[in-house]
Amino acid sequence: MSDVTSDSSQAPAGATDATTVADLTAAHEAAADVPPELVAQSLGQYLRAWWARVRGGDSGVLPVVLAIVVVAISFQIANPKFLSAQNLVNLFEQSSIYMLLAIAEIFALLLGEIDLSVGLVMGLGSVVVAELVQPTGANWPWWAAIIVTLLACCAVGAIQGMLVARLRMPSFIVTLGGLLILEGVAIIVLGGGLVGIGNSQYKNELVLYNIFWGAFTPLVSWILLAVIVGATGTGLWLRDARKRRSGLETPPRSLTALKIVLMAVAGIALVVICNVNRAHVGTIKGVPYIIAIVLIVLGASTVLLQRTRFGRYVYAIGGNPEAARRAGVRLPTIRIWCFVISALISGIAGVLFASWQVSLTTNIIKAANSYVLLAVAAAVIGGTSLFGGRGKTIHGVLGGLVIGGIYNGLYLQGVSSQWIDVVVAAVLLAAAAIDVLSRRGAPGQA
Amino acid sequence: MGPDGELPVTTVPGETAAVESDTTTAADLTSAPEAAAEVRELVAQSLSQYLRAWWLKVRSGDSGVLPVLLAMVVVAVTFQIITPQHSFLRPSNLVYIFGLSTVYMVLAIAETVVLLLAEIDLSVGAVALIGGVIAFKLAQSWPWWAAILAALAACGVFGALQGILTARLKIPSFVVTLAGFLLFSGILIVVLGGADGSVNLDTSKFNQLVIYDLVQGVIPPVTSWVLLAVVVGAVGTTLWLRAARRRRQGLVAPPASVTAIRIALVALVGVAVVAICNVNRGTALKSVQGVPWVIPIVLVVLGIWTLVLGRTRFGRYLYAIGGNPEAARRAGVSLAGIRTWAFALCSATAGLGGILLGAFFFGQYSTNTADPGQLVLYTVAAAVIGGVSLFGGRGKALHGVLGGLLIGGIAYGVSLLNLGSLSTPLQYILPGAVLLAAVLIDVLSRRGAGSVTRV
Repeated sequence: MSDVTSDSSQAPAGATDATTVADLTAAHEAAADVPPELVAQSLGQYLRAWWARVRGGDSGVLPVVLAIVVVAISFQIANPKFLSAQNLVNLFEQSSIYMLLAIAEIFALLLGEIDLSVGLVMGLGSVVVAELVQPTGANWPWWAAIIVTLLACCAVGAIQGMLVARLRMPSFIVTLGGLLILEGVAIIVLGGGLVGIGNSQYKNELVLYNIFWGAFTPLVSWILLAVIVGATGTGLWLRDARKRRSGLETPPRSLTALKIVLMAVAGIALVVICNVNRAHVGTIKGVPYIIAIVLIVLGASTVLLQRTRFGRYVYAIGGNPEAARRAGVRLPTIRIWCFVISALISGIAGVLFASWQVSLTTNIIKAANSYVLLAVAAAVIGGTSLFGGRGKTIHGVLGGLVIGGIYNGLYLQGVSSQWIDVVVAAVLLAAAAIDVLSRRGAPGQA
Repeated sequence: MGPDGELPVTTVPGETAAVESDTTTAADLTSAPEAAAEVRELVAQSLSQYLRAWWLKVRSGDSGVLPVLLAMVVVAVTFQIITPQHSFLRPSNLVYIFGLSTVYMVLAIAETVVLLLAEIDLSVGAVALIGGVIAFKLAQSWPWWAAILAALAACGVFGALQGILTARLKIPSFVVTLAGFLLFSGILIVVLGGADGSVNLDTSKFNQLVIYDLVQGVIPPVTSWVLLAVVVGAVGTTLWLRAARRRRQGLVAPPASVTAIRIALVALVGVAVVAICNVNRGTALKSVQGVPWVIPIVLVVLGIWTLVLGRTRFGRYLYAIGGNPEAARRAGVSLAGIRTWAFALCSATAGLGGILLGAFFFGQYSTNTADPGQLVLYTVAAAVIGGVSLFGGRGKALHGVLGGLLIGGIAYGVSLLNLGSLSTPLQYILPGAVLLAAVLIDVLSRRGAGSVTRV
């Protein structure tokens, strides 16, 4: 890696293209390790390198973006309401839970482990947070209830993580036994009855309710969009500029600009869709809070996985645990933290779940279990490998959108829930098969 | 792994020299220390030597059925003490526990087949329920045997499909069967005819009564005794003759006393079971006594799978693949073929479990009869508690039966306790805790045993 970097950085600005091409050919072996995009110097070259990588088996987000397009077009043909602004916001709201759980699952999948308990960690979290704000019960302020809920979920993750990491029990068994125990505990906490947060007289219940059902006003939505796109765009641009100044490998300027424009376009589309009045009676407009919550979790987990030493170690363990261990990575610690983070994000999903369901019953808690399949399916459909070491949190978000789209579309068609389960199972199998086949095609992969 | 496993071997033969052949055995043992780890009992020539060899094997981590038998004693004593009126060990309850455990036993045997390969089948619960529903539906118009065979064949096809995805495409089995679980749970509701659909056996029709009686029917007390005598006689003679033949031909065979003790144990358990079942467990108005049909049925399933796993080439290959797939492949075993068959046979056996489950619930099947997800967790827990390893290559059909009985006993014992609102959550917490405990023991015992896999 180092010689490729130093070679091309010494090249004068005018002659970069020729040198780089020579480098690319010369460092053919090294190119397997260094993403070709990194050394590409023009947009055309970058796209060519990207295409070569896709053909080599590392297709990134391409399949899931195609899947989103296919899902959107087929359901739009079946039912013209599918792509209406009203339904799209509905779809985003439903998908937000899948997205968060998929991000949680990715922290386990990247290690080559699996967490089957995310659905019931969410279920437990939702019951705990709802019970804690009951005016007739604990009557805690909403923020304290959320913090304690998230801490409780982290504790669950830490226990499961220790069983996996220290005792080396298979993670799918630990989390299978764990989800059963959590189901029992959640039913005990629920106390056999029903707990609701829908009474708007009480401020704490109202705040919880609004987490899922509330929205920014249209004006605030626009301002926030401007701030986010401005901040991220400036950040990207400055980082690239700094790298270029320091003589490091940088994607071409046009690519950075393209990324920023794409982000702005997606953001504007989202805000426009959300600012259409979607109420049957009265007015409901603006970007729902949960979209911001998902973006925050996505951003934080992306930074954690892509830009920190911890993230590097996670990929290293997933790629080759023995190599990581010999390189001095403390496997148990990193593994335990991954399970803790997975449970924390599931707990956040739990707070959203409580807010979404408004009132929780034993049956809803039992149903929470089926979300884990959707989470695994979303992560794998998004492009995360079941075998560890490959995947990003954005995959979970995109995969969650596909799953949400399928659910929403089939539901609009009046398909009964058991057939929806059948379709989701088929999609999960297809995604796993693609994962397996693409790994087989990829050079240098086990 | 090496020293811990080998040290005891060298100490064994040095002690006694009562019989002539002992010295030969000692020489054999020392010359082949690696092989000795697996055949210690086989080469024992006296009862005490055999018992010592067995104890060494237990201590080195291969404890066989010992833990599950101990656990059964602990569970039985505990529930007998804590249940109201100390009712747990009443004959009527014991017979009921056996009926309740039937499905776990049969499913655990099925799961064992797949676990031996170091794979897992999370769809057994859903497949079993589909099998039961198909058999019940078909029995409305078909002869009972055709209905059962068709149901088992259908389940076998479901299993084969999952096996192909696992074995040929190399998708991890827990993902394939997790999707299969979801898929078959959906199909189950479709087959039942919607979320509130159901299918019932009409016991006034012969073909449906036969399926109903698989669990609900009883063998009259006198016939029970006669059958017991026949079974014990047949099993005893076979065991004795086999050992005698081996001895005659100069092959290693356990000492005659061990064979005799085995036969005596079989007879003792049989007498106890028949005696318990022959106590009248009916009401004042209608007496019910005798061995339920389901006990010989489970014994037949156990017998068939014990033969298949222990005495056929297919069985040997299962252990070989579970122990070391690469070695099995190089030895010419068709991994994909054996794996696919294992999944197919697992699902077919599970289908039988589903038929028995429906018969246990008085021939009624609805979407509320059993939760497929809970069923599979109990099943895996039963197999692992019984002594089947999750990591492949270790386990027997008998382990599934004992583990299933333990799980059924715990489930029923809890329901006897009148815990009120706690009983629902405990139905989830207990199997979860038991599963984790069983796997923990599996992991720790493997760690103690090193990487040696035993048949």
